[in-house]
This record gives sequence, structure tokens and C-alpha cells, in this order.
Amino acid sequence: MSLHRFAFRAMAAVNEVQVHAQDRDAAAAMATPAIAEVRRIEAKYSRYRKESIVSRINAQAGGAAVAIDDETARLLDFADTCWRQSGGRFDATSGVLRRAWRFDPGAEAPSQAALDALLPLIGWDRIERTREAVRLPAAGMELDFGGFGKEYAVDRAAWMLREAGAKSALVSLAGDLAILGAQPGGAPWRVGIRHPRMEEVAIATLPASSGAIATSGDYERYIEVGGVRHCHVLDPRTGRSARGFRSVTVHAPSCLVAGSASTIAMLMGREAGLEWLDRLGLAHFCVLEDGAIVDRFEARSLQPAGEHGTA
Amino acid sequence: MAATDGEGGSPRRGGAALAALTQAALALPILAVAAKAGAAQVGEIGIAVLGYKERGLMKVTEPILWANAQFADVWEVQASAAVDIVTGASPELISNQSGRAVQAVTGASINDRRTTGDLHVTRHFGDFGLSGSYTESNEEDYHSRAYGVEGRWDLNQKLTTIAAGYGHSNDRVGSSVDATLDAPRRTNEYMLGVTQILTPLSLVQSTLTASRGHGWYNDPYKLTLTFYPDQVIPTLLSDRRPDHRDTIAWLTRYRRHFTEANGTLQADYRYFRDDWGIRAHTLELAWQQDFGERWSVRPALRYYTQSAADFYAPVIPRPQPAVLSSDQRLGAFGGLSPSLRVTMRLQGGLVLEGTAGYVHDARSLHLGGGGSEAFTTLRAVYGLVSVSHTF
Repeated sequence: MSLHRFAFRAMAAVNEVQVHAQDRDAAAAMATPAIAEVRRIEAKYSRYRKESIVSRINAQAGGAAVAIDDETARLLDFADTCWRQSGGRFDATSGVLRRAWRFDPGAEAPSQAALDALLPLIGWDRIERTREAVRLPAAGMELDFGGFGKEYAVDRAAWMLREAGAKSALVSLAGDLAILGAQPGGAPWRVGIRHPRMEEVAIATLPASSGAIATSGDYERYIEVGGVRHCHVLDPRTGRSARGFRSVTVHAPSCLVAGSASTIAMLMGREAGLEWLDRLGLAHFCVLEDGAIVDRFEARSLQPAGEHGTA
Repeated sequence: MAATDGEGGSPRRGGAALAALTQAALALPILAVAAKAGAAQVGEIGIAVLGYKERGLMKVTEPILWANAQFADVWEVQASAAVDIVTGASPELISNQSGRAVQAVTGASINDRRTTGDLHVTRHFGDFGLSGSYTESNEEDYHSRAYGVEGRWDLNQKLTTIAAGYGHSNDRVGSSVDATLDAPRRTNEYMLGVTQILTPLSLVQSTLTASRGHGWYNDPYKLTLTFYPDQVIPTLLSDRRPDHRDTIAWLTRYRRHFTEANGTLQADYRYFRDDWGIRAHTLELAWQQDFGERWSVRPALRYYTQSAADFYAPVIPRPQPAVLSSDQRLGAFGGLSPSLRVTMRLQGGLVLEGTAGYVHDARSLHLGGGGSEAFTTLRAVYGLVSVSHTF
């Protein structure tokens, strides 16, 4: 058994599948369907592709309802759950804010007037949907799977890997990943968490042998104006960037859960976000706005062994 | 699909939130597996060999075999077995023929063999864990059976763990020089401990253990020999200790991980007292430095100091007391013990570990000076090599 790695581009990022297998051919036979599945999901839900279901729904905003399949209906159910559980902070219609925000070097933060003009176009609860069709009620509204599409692709890729017989594998899409079984011999995978302020530097290495790990951070797309960082995680109620965390990493049974938990924590801000994570009971690792670390992964492993013995 | 709860309001409670998110995610054809941090450790098996050598006195080699396994996520079973082989010179006598107490070691050699085994079974019930243990130890002149029960309770999002335990041991002491000796000793032990995670990278653990024992504590091989100036024939007294012993030990451990340095500070302090008059302090400082995934090095330094038991005396006083022992382990002394441990983790869950240490016990190392005059400086080296495999 040896480790084989397959890098591929999809969803505007460099992604990777790693598989333990007897040889390269066996590994490729397992990785290929997983990579194909990621590409399928990208084609189906990318708002950059005209023929995608998301583009068709958005094009019909204010117009006719668009027929959807069962997979899409279930993904929208998941988005609905996120919206409810987050008190409206996680909103799959908040993508319109991108019209005001430019995350390019030298760009300015948008004016309140520009944001106020967009806020009426946000409102998950106004979407009209059934199991078979969905309709955006107002022209200009947008549906965006950005908050859970990639996470879904990670979970699906993990499924495909298992279907192909992988016992020990990892799939990572732009840093959000799922782990299928420990490495041969039982050693955990070591998942590096990117330093939110230094590229290519890991701030922590988390051991994991199963489950999914997702990170939301303020470092992927952002601008700095007058020393204030505005990141792409935007609150649909104000149109402004989330504050309080540099990054939130969550370990959960599925990447959909890990990703939504971390994004919702970012949107809640430091105090409420940490409380949310604690209450969820999922292992998490956070870098706060001031650089302080909240590590609910590592501390348990510090426990001295063989103590508390009787007799 | 209009929502009546949610927007602008406070989010729902966490447990329900996780259930809702998970349920919505699982409605999709995805793979969801329990999120396991760390190694997927379901079992471990290992063997270790310990070698110990006191300068000219004694050599102990101890092959140890251990294994543990988890079943169905709620059961944990640990077992170990060890054989000690003790070779070397037999116990010492004390003489003050020249006017001052001198330790003497007889030339007779001993070759003793001790076998021990223990079994530990734990059942987890959510945040609560209950375990039972059994330990047996046998040698030619000493047999011990002990059992224990222990409960552990995780509180406060597992940031706090409380443990309480009870143990009972039933020992029988015999002697190869006195076939009639077959004396019992019974000990009850009570433990209360708390572990608190202070910050994400540091924790403290404090454990209080009290024991109450009664029975035979005398060392059947130990004799105190005294030449009084006015007597031609030396006076010989066998070891006579109290027939009960109550002890209290308080151990506090602190661990702090330094992310930048990739190392962990380990500081332990233990206070011990018993009703024989012994007061002891142990302080150990260690630094575990990790080099990548594969190597760790852990240098450590331990300091130990104890006061003498009330009935400790290297010579027999006049008039003869009811209890007396010249065993120097009951005297006042101190010790320094540096050690170095190197750990190497190999592919496939194999871990190799080697520890080398030096023990130096001397009366001059007693805290504040004033160690027992008759204490013979002890120097020993030990080494421990182990191989373990997790699966």
C-alpha cells in the first residue's frame, strides 16, 4: 500500500484526492469517479455557467418558476435549515451583495447607500419553492450555492471514493476536506490549518481519521480600507463583512455540516459564534480577530496518560 | 415554506441545531461518518524491557507485555503482564563496630522472580465512564491481589473531568528464610481527582489519594546489628515496623503546549505524608519537543526529598524500642534523577521508544540538609526500550 495523490482544478481552485492503494492504477480507478463527481456538481450549480440550474433560476428571477430535480430540492432544503438555524445569517440569496463589493487590491468598501439598494433583494424566506420548482419573486434576486455547493461536492466525492472501494482516502476542495478512514496502520491524517495571515503557513496541524473538516476565513477574498479588513463573508442583514474571527475550522461527520457550522460561526461574530460552536459540540479551531487561538481539537490530547490509578 | 422562526431572532439551541443540520445534510446522498480526531485507535499491543542497575547492588530486568482494545465505542479493555527478574546481592546489614554506623552488604546473592498481571475494563455511558480493575502479583515470598473501581465524569463540555476511585489490596508476606512466616496485609485506597482544561493549550490535573493499611510491614530479611562497646556479642534485632500505615498523596500535574515551539512543558508535583512520619516532595519538570511527525525527545529532571520515619535508626538505641527499622529507604535523603526519552513513530502505527535515566540518592540531597547520616549514596542507571503497535 502506498499513497497516491491526484491534483485537479475545479471550482476555481486547486483540489486534491489522496488514496492509499496497491498501485497507481488502482488508486486512479478510485480517484477518477470522485473527481468526475466534483466536476458534475460544479457544472450543475456554478453561477458562472450559463446552463447551470442556478443560472437558469437566476435568469428567471421575477419571472417563471424553474423546474428542479430531487438533488437540487434537497440542497435547497439544506440551505433552508442553515437559514433557520443561523437566525437568518446564512442566506443563499445574499450573493447579490457581490454587486457592491469589490475584493480587488485598492478597492473601496461600498457606501451604505449602495448596500441599502441591494438589501431588499435578499430574503431566503421570500423564495417560492416546492419539491419540483423554485422561483425568485423579484427581478434582480440571486440564488448562490457558494455557501454549500463545494461542501456538498466534498461529501459526494467521499461517497464516490468509498463506492470505488477506497478504505483510506482524503478529498480536499480548496482546503475543505473529507477523510475516509485512517491511514494504513491507524495513523491519523494530519490536516494543516492555514495561517489566516500567512500564506503557505500552517497555524496548526489537526489529527483526524474520519469525518470532514471545513474552514471559513477572512483571508480568501478581502480588502483592507483604512486598516479595517472587509472579507467576503457578508451578513445578509447589513451587507457588511463578518467580524470577530480570522478563521473558524470545524470537524464534523460531513463537510456540509462542518462548512455551514463554520460559516454560521463567522457570521455570528466572536462571542455568539464561539458559543454556537460549543453548543454544537463539534471539534473546532478558531483564530480570533486579535490573533488569539481557541483550540477545541488539541487540548484533549495533552491529557497525561495513566493517571488517576487506584490500587 | 415560510419561516416563522429564525430571522433576526436568536438561533436555536445547539444540540437541536446540529441535529437539524445533520438531518438536512443526510437527506442528500452523501457520506457522513463519525468525526474522529486523532488516530483511529482501536487497539494497541506493546512490549517493553526495563533494565536497572544499582552500582554493585542489584539488577532488575523486567519484560512487560501490554495490550488494550476498544469494542463498540463503549468498552475498553486493557491488560498487561510483567516478569521481574531481580539478581544481585542480598539485603544489607548495619554495623557500628568502628564506632559509627556503616552499611554493609552481605555477599550472598539472590535471584528472585516476580510475575504480575492486571486487567482493566471500562464501560462508557456518554459523559460517564465506569471501570473495574484486577491486579495480581506473585513472587516466592510475596503475593498480592488487588481490585479497584473507578468512575469518571466529563463535565462542562468535557473541559472538566472528575474521577473518583476505590481500591483494595490483599497481600501475603512470606520469607524464604522463615518458612513459618505467612502474614497478611490489607490496604484500602481512596482516590479523588479533577482534570481541568485551562486554556486550549494547557491543563491541570490534581489527584488526592489516601490509603489505610494494616498488617505485616516488616522486611523479613532486614536485621539491625549493633555492637555496643560494653558487649562482646553484637545485638541483632529484626525489622519491626508498625502494623498499620495511613498515607496521603497529592499529585498535581500541569501541561502546556507551545504551538510555536512545537513542544509541551510537563510539570508534576507530588506531596506525600504518612503516619510513620515520612513527608516527601517530588518535583518533576520535563519538556517534550516534537520534531515533525516522527520524532519526539523528552528530557526530564526529577527531584525527590523525604524525611525519616519516626522509628528509623541505623543502630539499636537503648532501651530497645518497640518499633525499629534500619532500612535506609525509611531514612532522610534526597535524590536527583535526570532522564531522556526518545520516541520514533514509524509508518503503520509502529512506535519505538527508548528511555535512559540516572538515579542519584544521597543524604546531602535532602531538602535543607540534614539527611540521615547512615544513608549510603545510591547511584543507579536504568534503561527502558519499548515497541508498540496500534491498529
